[in-house]
Amino acid sequence: MTKFLKHIALEGKGLSLGYFHQKARKEILHGLNFQLFKGELTCLLGPNGVGKSTLIKAILGQIKPWQGEIFLGSQAIQNLKTEDLAKQISVVLTDPVFPGNMTVGQLVALGRTPHTAWSGKLSETDREIVEKALSDTKIQYLRDERLSEISDGQRQKAMIARALAQDGQLMILDEPTAHLDLVNRFEIMQVLREIASQKGKAVLVVTHDLDIAVETADRFWLLNCGTPLISGKPEDLIISGEINQLLPGEKFKFSVERGKLEFEIRDSGFEIEGPQELVFWVKKALRKAGLSTFKGTLTIQRSPFSIRLGEAQFDTIEALIHFLEKSE
Amino acid sequence: MKTKTYLFPIFLLLLGLSFLLNLSLGSVMIPFGEIVSGLFSGDWSKASWEQIILNYRLPKALVAIFAGIGLSLSGLQMQTFFRNPLAGPFVLGISSGAGLGVAILMLAGSAFGIALSGVNSWAIAFAGVLGAALVLSAVSLVAWKVKDSMTLLIVGLMFGSAVSAVISVLSFFSGAEALKLFTVWSMGSLGALGWSQVGILSVLIALGSIPVLVSVKSYNALLLGEAYAKSMGIRTEKMRWLMIISTGILAGGITAFCGPIAFVGIAVPHLARIVWKSSDHRILFPASALIGAILLLLCDAAGQLPGFASTLPINAVTSLVGAPIVIGLILKRNFSRDF
Repeated sequence: MTKFLKHIALEGKGLSLGYFHQKARKEILHGLNFQLFKGELTCLLGPNGVGKSTLIKAILGQIKPWQGEIFLGSQAIQNLKTEDLAKQISVVLTDPVFPGNMTVGQLVALGRTPHTAWSGKLSETDREIVEKALSDTKIQYLRDERLSEISDGQRQKAMIARALAQDGQLMILDEPTAHLDLVNRFEIMQVLREIASQKGKAVLVVTHDLDIAVETADRFWLLNCGTPLISGKPEDLIISGEINQLLPGEKFKFSVERGKLEFEIRDSGFEIEGPQELVFWVKKALRKAGLSTFKGTLTIQRSPFSIRLGEAQFDTIEALIHFLEKSE
Repeated sequence: MKTKTYLFPIFLLLLGLSFLLNLSLGSVMIPFGEIVSGLFSGDWSKASWEQIILNYRLPKALVAIFAGIGLSLSGLQMQTFFRNPLAGPFVLGISSGAGLGVAILMLAGSAFGIALSGVNSWAIAFAGVLGAALVLSAVSLVAWKVKDSMTLLIVGLMFGSAVSAVISVLSFFSGAEALKLFTVWSMGSLGALGWSQVGILSVLIALGSIPVLVSVKSYNALLLGEAYAKSMGIRTEKMRWLMIISTGILAGGITAFCGPIAFVGIAVPHLARIVWKSSDHRILFPASALIGAILLLLCDAAGQLPGFASTLPINAVTSLVGAPIVIGLILKRNFSRDF
C-alpha cells in the first residue's frame, strides 16, 4: 500500500474490547487496528450493537482495553491523566442533559474547564477561544439565549461549539445528527467538515446517516460483526463494493449510480420509455406497489406529465397503478 | 454574559434587615435602633434587653443564619450532583440519618442500661454527621444508577422510614428521661443552643463549605452530566466523596444541633435559580447561602407569636413555607429538565 504523508492523531493497535456480564467474559471487538488522521472528517458506520459506543468509551479512557493499546500521538491513553486527556479529546454525546437556565455562551465557556484554574474564571485567551468557537459554528447570534429556549438543531451546534472550545486535537461526536431535520443534519456535518479541514483537527463522527456521510466524510470506518475495521475514502469503498458490508443479506444494496441505499432492483415486466429521471420514479412506484407481473410498454411524456399504456393515458402514477390493480 | 451581580448587595441588605427583625421580635419587642446601638456601643437602655439579646436572641439568630447557609449549600450540591431537582438533605433521608446518629447516642445508652453522664455537644455533632454521611453514602450508591427523580425520591423515603423504624425501636426500649430529651430534639429548635455550641456549629459550617469552594468549577461541569464532566477532566469519583463529606458535615451537623429542618435545603437553591436566573455555581452558591440565611431568619421571626412566650417549632414553619414552593415548582412545566 502506498504510504500517505498524513499526521496521525489517534492510533489503535491490536485492540480487543469487551465487558463482563455476570462473570462471563463478553468480547465485542477483537484485534482492531485503526488510524485517525488530523484534518479529516471520519465517519464511523456500523449496525447497532456492533461496539461503536464501546470503542468510543475506550478512546475516552473510560474502559480499559483487554488487549492492545490506543495511542494519542506518542502516548498510550491509559497512561494519561483525566485532566490531560481532556485537553486533547472533546466529545459530543447522545445524553440529552441540558440545564435550561444556562445560556449558550456559558455552555461554550464550560468547554474551557480543563484549561482554567479552580474557580473556572476565564482569562482573556479563554474568552477569545470561546468567541472563535461561537463564530466557527455560526451561532454568535445565540450567545445570550437560554438552552431551554432554542431548537434541537441550535442546541446541537452549541454542544459542538463547546467541544470546539475545549480545543483538543481530537473531537468525537456520537450521532450528532440524530433527531434533527434534514437541513440541520447537512449544516452540522458541514460545520464539522470545516472544523476538520480548516483547523486541522481530527473529527470522528458516529452516524447512521449514510447519505449525508457519503456527501461530507473524508474517510469511512466500517465496523461490522466479526470483521476487521475497514477504513478508506467513501468513494473507494463504494466503487469496490465494500460499503455493502454494512448491509445484511441481499435485500438492500448500495446503488453506485445514485449514491444511496436501495432495495435490490427486481425489474417489472414493463418496458418503460421516456426521460430517464421520470422513468426512475415510475419504476420505483411500480416496484413499491408490487406490480411486476404485467407485460407491455409504458411511454412517459414530460410537461404535461403523462403515461401511455396502449390505448390508455394517465396524468398521474397513482391513476396508472389504480388502473393496473383493477385489471389484475 | 449578563450576571445579576447587582442583586448581591440588595440581598445582603435584606439579610441585615431580617437579622434585625429577628432580633427585635419575640415575647418582648425591642426596637431596631436600640439593638443597633446596643450591639455596637454596648449601651442598653434596659439591662433585661441586654440579657435577652446577648444570651438568647443573638445566638439564635446566628444559628438561623448558619443553618440556612448550611442546608441550602448541601441542597444545591445534591441537586447538581444527582442532576435531580428534588434532591435535598431532608428528602433523601440525610436528616433522618443524622437523627439516627443522635438517637443512638441519646437513647441506646439508656436502652442498654448504660448511664451516659450528660451528652456532650461535640458528641452530638459527631453522631449527627456520622449518621448523615452513612445514609448519604447508601443513597448515593443507589442514586448513582438511577437518574429518574421519582426513583431517587422513593429510595430516599424508604431509607427515611427504615431509619425512623430503628429510632422507634430504640425509643421503645429506652428510659423516660432519655426519650424526653430526644423528643424535644426532634421537634427542631434554633434557640436551644448556647454560645459554645454556636461556636461548634460555625466551625462545622466553615469546614463543610471548604469542599464547596474547592469544587465550584467541577459543579458547573457536572451540570452537563457525569459523562461530559469526565470528558472535561473532572474526577467524578473524587467529587462524589467531597459532596458526601460536605453535605454530611453541613446537613448532619445542623440536624444534630437544631433537629430536623425541612424544605430549606430543597427549596432555596430553586429560589436562587429563579431570582438570579443562572445555573453558574459561582453565583448559585453565594446566592443560595444568602437566601437560605434570610429565609430561616424570617421563618424563625414568623414563628414568634406575638404575646406568647413560646415559639412555633422551626420545622413546622419551614414546612408551611417550603411545601407550597416545592409543589409550585413541580407543577411548573419542564421542572426536571429546566434546572
